[in-house]
Amino acid sequence: MAKTLLCEIVTPERILYTNEVEMVIAPTPDGESGILPLHAPLVTLLAPGELRVRYNDGKDVEWFAVSGGYLQVHEDKVIVLADAAAASSQIDVERARRAKALIEERMKELKERPADVAEEIASCVADLKWCEVQIKVAERRA
Amino acid sequence: MPNLRDIKRRISSVQSTRQITRTMEMVATAKIKKAQERIESARPYALSMMEVLGNVARYVQGATHPLLEEHPERKRVAIIALTSDRGLCGAFNANILRLTEGLIRDAEAEGAEAEIIAVGKKALSYLKYRGVEPVAEYRDISDKPTFAHARSIAAQVISAYSEGRIDAAYVVFNRFKNVAEQKAEVHQLLPIERTVVDVDEEPLGPRPEYLFEPSPAAVLEKLLPMYVETLVYRALLESAASEQGARRVAMKSATDNAGEIITTLTRSYNRARQASITNEIAEIVGGAAALEES
Repeated sequence: MAKTLLCEIVTPERILYTNEVEMVIAPTPDGESGILPLHAPLVTLLAPGELRVRYNDGKDVEWFAVSGGYLQVHEDKVIVLADAAAASSQIDVERARRAKALIEERMKELKERPADVAEEIASCVADLKWCEVQIKVAERRA
Repeated sequence: MPNLRDIKRRISSVQSTRQITRTMEMVATAKIKKAQERIESARPYALSMMEVLGNVARYVQGATHPLLEEHPERKRVAIIALTSDRGLCGAFNANILRLTEGLIRDAEAEGAEAEIIAVGKKALSYLKYRGVEPVAEYRDISDKPTFAHARSIAAQVISAYSEGRIDAAYVVFNRFKNVAEQKAEVHQLLPIERTVVDVDEEPLGPRPEYLFEPSPAAVLEKLLPMYVETLVYRALLESAASEQGARRVAMKSATDNAGEIITTLTRSYNRARQASITNEIAEIVGGAAALEES
């Protein structure tokens, strides 16, 4: 397959990844979307989850953890604008696990309090999800 | 006559001050570069986001969203003041605080209340002195702001605005013009200006048919808060770079001034030394003449 897509993964802080790839598989709120060359122009939201790209005749796959954001496809260029993203090789699993434990503890504390903490719980849930995604992706490299 | 020892002591004190200011100048120069790089690397994200926002806006004509709606009355405005945590950076903080003060007064003149979100220790200490209680404070982030900080600041004004607790939000920060120049500016965050989503139809010619998932409105719903976050993040980054720029200029002039003081002091030291020698000779000559006479 000769045709390729240019895939760019951008976070607010920097460009994480650019490469010519054959397929991008992204987590969207309605399930995974696979994007191949010649895809119609598309803008879609991303759900927290695993994003992967395939290249080199599908022999090489790279995994990324994304925490949400959106993705735009236009003329064989895929721009992933992630709130936060990390390549599987760069994830610090220990750190993610520790963060996860801390957040879980905090949530327990919050739930016991009668006060209105819905907002804080929501942000904890999001953080927790992000930690889980990171751990999951990191395990892929093993 | 100035005491020789006193002058010498002052010279050495000014010299050590100069050493400190020179070091700070060099540190600031190094930090400007890093801060500038950070601004640069935030640009691709901001640009792509604006592009997508423009695309979406073309599909959602006459978009409505709580963040776009102007509130009929201005009863309460939020002002985010970005200052530094450390001093010795010239008028950097003074400019921000003066602008903030102006905004507060404008709001009060309209009969609205102002609430302040203070970023940086300098804003906190100023507000404390003024007897104003900030609704939120952030410190120790001005040096290395991250997107998470921007998100948390933005989330506050976004939720306050959509719940109707505030009717406008502004950010006051130093725009980084170049390494030697910063300009304190006020930007309106909320309501989001309509120009952002009202795009001219014609000039682009045939436009690509975009698919939106789950729907254009849902994408817009997510994009607008992100737009605000990106604006705040950019302001934080610019402010960090400006702080270093301002510090470098301030420290450079301090170093130059110290050099001048040292030159003047050295001159008066030499003069005093010369005077004391002349004095001694006169005394010796006088003494010898007195001996000869006797």
